[in-house]
Amino acid sequence: MRVETCYFCSRPQYPSKGITFVRNDGKKFMFCRSKCHKNFKMKRNPRKLKWTKAFRKSVGKEMTVDSTLTFAARRNIPVRYNRDLVSTTLKAMQRVSEIKAKRERVFYKNRMAGNKEREKAANRKLVAENEHLLPRVRASERMAKETVEEPLETEAVEIPAQKEKKTKRVKQRLVVGGGVQEEMDVD
Amino acid sequence: MIQLKTLLNCIDNSGATIVECVRNMGMKRHGGVGDRIIVVVQKARSMGDSGPGNTTATGGANKVRRGDIRHAIIVRTRKKYQRKDGMVVRFDDNACALIGKNGDPIGTRINGVVGAELREKQQSKILSLASMHV
Repeated sequence: MRVETCYFCSRPQYPSKGITFVRNDGKKFMFCRSKCHKNFKMKRNPRKLKWTKAFRKSVGKEMTVDSTLTFAARRNIPVRYNRDLVSTTLKAMQRVSEIKAKRERVFYKNRMAGNKEREKAANRKLVAENEHLLPRVRASERMAKETVEEPLETEAVEIPAQKEKKTKRVKQRLVVGGGVQEEMDVD
Repeated sequence: MIQLKTLLNCIDNSGATIVECVRNMGMKRHGGVGDRIIVVVQKARSMGDSGPGNTTATGGANKVRRGDIRHAIIVRTRKKYQRKDGMVVRFDDNACALIGKNGDPIGTRINGVVGAELREKQQSKILSLASMHV
């Protein structure tokens, strides 16, 4: 009994789990669950399905060339049981998995590096391409705005009531339904 | 799940290619790998056609003809079944090998895989003829 890897998704197939299909030429296909078995029966290509390991490796989302990956290879050399050998192997396995985890983290970071800049550039490009959709602001309007804002600041202390009204109106414009109701209440 | 009227491939070199199950031996509803059944030969390899090139392939004369009633052992089933160790196995087709009434295989060679259940069912002769077992 051994833990096999699923033919379709490369997940481990533990004993008593999944199904084994034997083709007439004697090739065995191990599946970890019925999902993989069904997809195999539908003749789907695991390289084209995003949830399989085969896809992730073929698209470059995971490490493919690394010395830590070679330890998992199957060796057909029988080894006589030896207590020391087992203990050293166990230690080595732990160490290898540690190294592998570290390298995977580095790989992920490298893969994600520069994502922010890329996104920013894409956003900039989008805005530049669709600039004609932005609200047009005339130079005269801009000037008017600036002149209105300046006296408000100066008169703020003198006439607080006016300012309140103004802010209210702005709110009413923003909220369509609620704004009308507020006005009714005031009246 | 081999039952009455099931068509099976015959994978030995007895001469039969397709056989039909007419009875399960041993009061069973369905036959599984390693079970003994009685079959009718529906299709046999043509006897006279064997030219000088492929005399070895057909093994000279066919040992069975169309319409013969023979005993057979099921070696593969399409229906999945679970083994003692928890493994669930499914094959590509339903297949059998013909045997005589005393239990000896009629053919001298078996092509393709057979299920490993034959060992438990004391059918080691067929198992040894087969090229591989899974």
